[in-house]
Amino acid sequence: MLFHTWTFLLFFAVFYPVYLLIKGTRLKLPWLLTASYVFYGWWNPVYLILIVWATLVDYLAVVGMARTRWKKPWLVLSLLNNLSLLGFFKYGRFVVENLNSLAAWLGLPWTLGDPDVRFLSDAVNSLLYGCGIDHTVPAFSYLLPVGISFYVFQSMSYTIDYYRGNVAFEPNFVRYATFVSLFPQLVAGPIERASNLLPQLHGTPQITRDDVSDGGFLFVVGLFKKVALADYLARYVDPIYASPGDYQAAALALATVAFAWQIYFDFSGYTDMARGIGRMMGIRLMLNFYHPYLATGLGDFWQRWHISLSTWFKDYVYIPLGGNRHGEVATYRNMVLTMLISGLWHGAMWTFVIWGAVHAAGRVLTRALEGTPFYQHRVPKLAKQVLTFLIVCFAWVFFRAQSVGDAWLILRRIASCELADPAIPLLMIGLVLAIWIYQYVWESRLYAVLQRPLVRVALVVGMVVYIATLITASDQAFIYFQF
Amino acid sequence: MENEPLNPSKSSARHGVDPSWAAAEMRLSPRQCCAALVITAVLFYVLPHAWERIEPLQIGAGYRIPYRLGNDYWQYERTCRAAAGGDQTLLVGDSVIWGHYVSTRGTLSHYLNEQAGSERFVNLGVDGVHPAAMAGLVEYYGGAIRGRRVIVNCNLLWTSSPRHDLSATKEATFNHSALVPQFSPWIPCYRASLSQRVGAVAGRRLPILGWADHLRIAYFDSEDLATWTLERPYRNPLGALNAALPSPDEPPSPPPDARPWTAKGITEFTPDWVPLDESLQWRFFQRTVRLLRERGNQVFVVVGPFNEHMLTEAGQRGYARQKHQVAEWLAEEGVSHCVPPPLASELYADASHPTAAGYAQLARLLAEQPAFTDFCGQ
Repeated sequence: MLFHTWTFLLFFAVFYPVYLLIKGTRLKLPWLLTASYVFYGWWNPVYLILIVWATLVDYLAVVGMARTRWKKPWLVLSLLNNLSLLGFFKYGRFVVENLNSLAAWLGLPWTLGDPDVRFLSDAVNSLLYGCGIDHTVPAFSYLLPVGISFYVFQSMSYTIDYYRGNVAFEPNFVRYATFVSLFPQLVAGPIERASNLLPQLHGTPQITRDDVSDGGFLFVVGLFKKVALADYLARYVDPIYASPGDYQAAALALATVAFAWQIYFDFSGYTDMARGIGRMMGIRLMLNFYHPYLATGLGDFWQRWHISLSTWFKDYVYIPLGGNRHGEVATYRNMVLTMLISGLWHGAMWTFVIWGAVHAAGRVLTRALEGTPFYQHRVPKLAKQVLTFLIVCFAWVFFRAQSVGDAWLILRRIASCELADPAIPLLMIGLVLAIWIYQYVWESRLYAVLQRPLVRVALVVGMVVYIATLITASDQAFIYFQF
Repeated sequence: MENEPLNPSKSSARHGVDPSWAAAEMRLSPRQCCAALVITAVLFYVLPHAWERIEPLQIGAGYRIPYRLGNDYWQYERTCRAAAGGDQTLLVGDSVIWGHYVSTRGTLSHYLNEQAGSERFVNLGVDGVHPAAMAGLVEYYGGAIRGRRVIVNCNLLWTSSPRHDLSATKEATFNHSALVPQFSPWIPCYRASLSQRVGAVAGRRLPILGWADHLRIAYFDSEDLATWTLERPYRNPLGALNAALPSPDEPPSPPPDARPWTAKGITEFTPDWVPLDESLQWRFFQRTVRLLRERGNQVFVVVGPFNEHMLTEAGQRGYARQKHQVAEWLAEEGVSHCVPPPLASELYADASHPTAAGYAQLARLLAEQPAFTDFCGQ
């Protein structure tokens, strides 16, 4: 179920009044959990098997840790289970393909079969048929179940935090299951920590008028980002990246910049909508994006982009590796490793690994520079922002390209500077520029201008009218669902 | 990524902004919130009405809904309001009334006007609107048709097979799907997603959505803004809103072959008639007639003209049965009607559409029917 569809509106229109009525009763958690599973099962009911399995195993691991002196085996069980789920469903085909390529290259006479998980949906369909129910669930595609990377990380963080003694034991299984599957942030984050979200599921949520209005308008902003901006930019980017050989430098460069904004609007739009819905429910989800394209360095960029993921990697990968506590070389090694793993988290393709490597290399090369007084005080802020944006765009080429070969082709063509009409709509440029200026002003001394009631009311009204009049219904999924 | 405290909004914090908020978050006080809601509601109401003043609509002699605006239900509603303002008789129906193969000077309403010697009949036909869609069109967009004389065409082509009747279970796409009932009664071959169904229902209730569709259809070649600007990257979309509607004389696209059916190599066929007591389309037709009468209209039904020459003997027997049942029901309900005899074979362009000469002939045949003259004389 996508936030920007009528189906979700209908779902929420049923869910929310009931939630408001029962939020102070024992029925709150079962209602939240049921709604979350309906929301998730809407894609494919079979996906529920995985989320329930991940939840059960992690909960058992924490119960085991709470009841025995030997915590480590339970943590290992949780990590193995979560990483196996990710490994099988997300990386299985990638590993098999690469092993087969390696075997062929070495001249070895064997190949591994394609991993297939259709048996799960086949089993469910057999069961339905056996029960005389005239219904079939869609085939459980090998392609990874929606949002698995998000809820697996969220659930895993709880077992790690409990092991470390950072969070208390949650005795209520339904509350724990709700924490893992809470529908606003289930499929694309923000990846919440138990220390932030679980306490909010205790007791009666206090929902003020401000929560409802702030949440509602945050949803409108997210909706605008998705349907008016991200989907629009996608229409320019997709055909160019589908066959980059047909385009010249200007179109490829502009498509790359457009993709940078598309993925930002798409992902931050989802997050805004998730946070807005959470807010209306009296739940505060963490900030996930903070004007990333105003970053003045790559370090700054990662403090603004997908904050919940970058802090997750910082807490559970970078710091356990040693962080910056063991000298410069170890620090750089840890940064590179973390970025490579982060790249791989995004998808089982070499393009994502290279994307991570580009960011790692960029960070290694610019970290020392960013610390110099010259860079900090002499280089104009705008120049730093432009430089950072260009590095990020360079990395996006690998992220968006369909193969490493395509990425190189795009970079070669851009470098050739052969000019042809890029045919990018002026309206598109105008919209992106307007957003960039808006964010720039927000972070400048002119900030007060944007806080004027007239400006804010005009912006909200403008967005609603724009969506209602100029946007046709969209069923385009969010980019990050594939991760 | 390093061991530094996360502070994504150093700059905003400097300006005294809550650092947990980003620019995306439109914080409005309750009063501002109310103001935003009121302004939005007013704009939703005012914009379509204001646009009606900007964009002239003149229903003059020989007017019909321009072909390109066939899916523009906001415009249909507006046309109904304009047409219902006078003392004319309104012709409601599908492409047979609209005149698929003919110009505005070859339609049934044109020839009826010619016979009457005045602009007495108004063409409110819509190309491709089958009875299920017609019921929706009249119910949701034809509210202005009240207390008028209305001629409704009953085209039994829509019961000539389960596919036409929409009662087939195999998934099918059909025209004007936004007008058919989305939930009840259930149309078995209609497989829209829940989101599309809810969207269709919302579209009927919110005039702003209909108006937005109107702009898209009338000025952006039925494309959304994104597609339109991608195809014309350097054009100003506001410049396209020139308030000039397409001409009613604009032919369908692609232009239909207006020759008689006999010249097109069409062969006879035997329809798989759906019995009327099982027919979805017939139920919707009945609903349209009842709805119009409930609104105080005097309704006259013209059954046909169907091209019986194109039917095999078995097909003709089936058609006679359908016709008879329709006439029987209309008589039971006390609805004025006539079942004109078939036109000459060469006066049909296909199974149900007459040529221009066919329409002229039909107008003459109607004029000879006492039921029709009584109806017109009322």
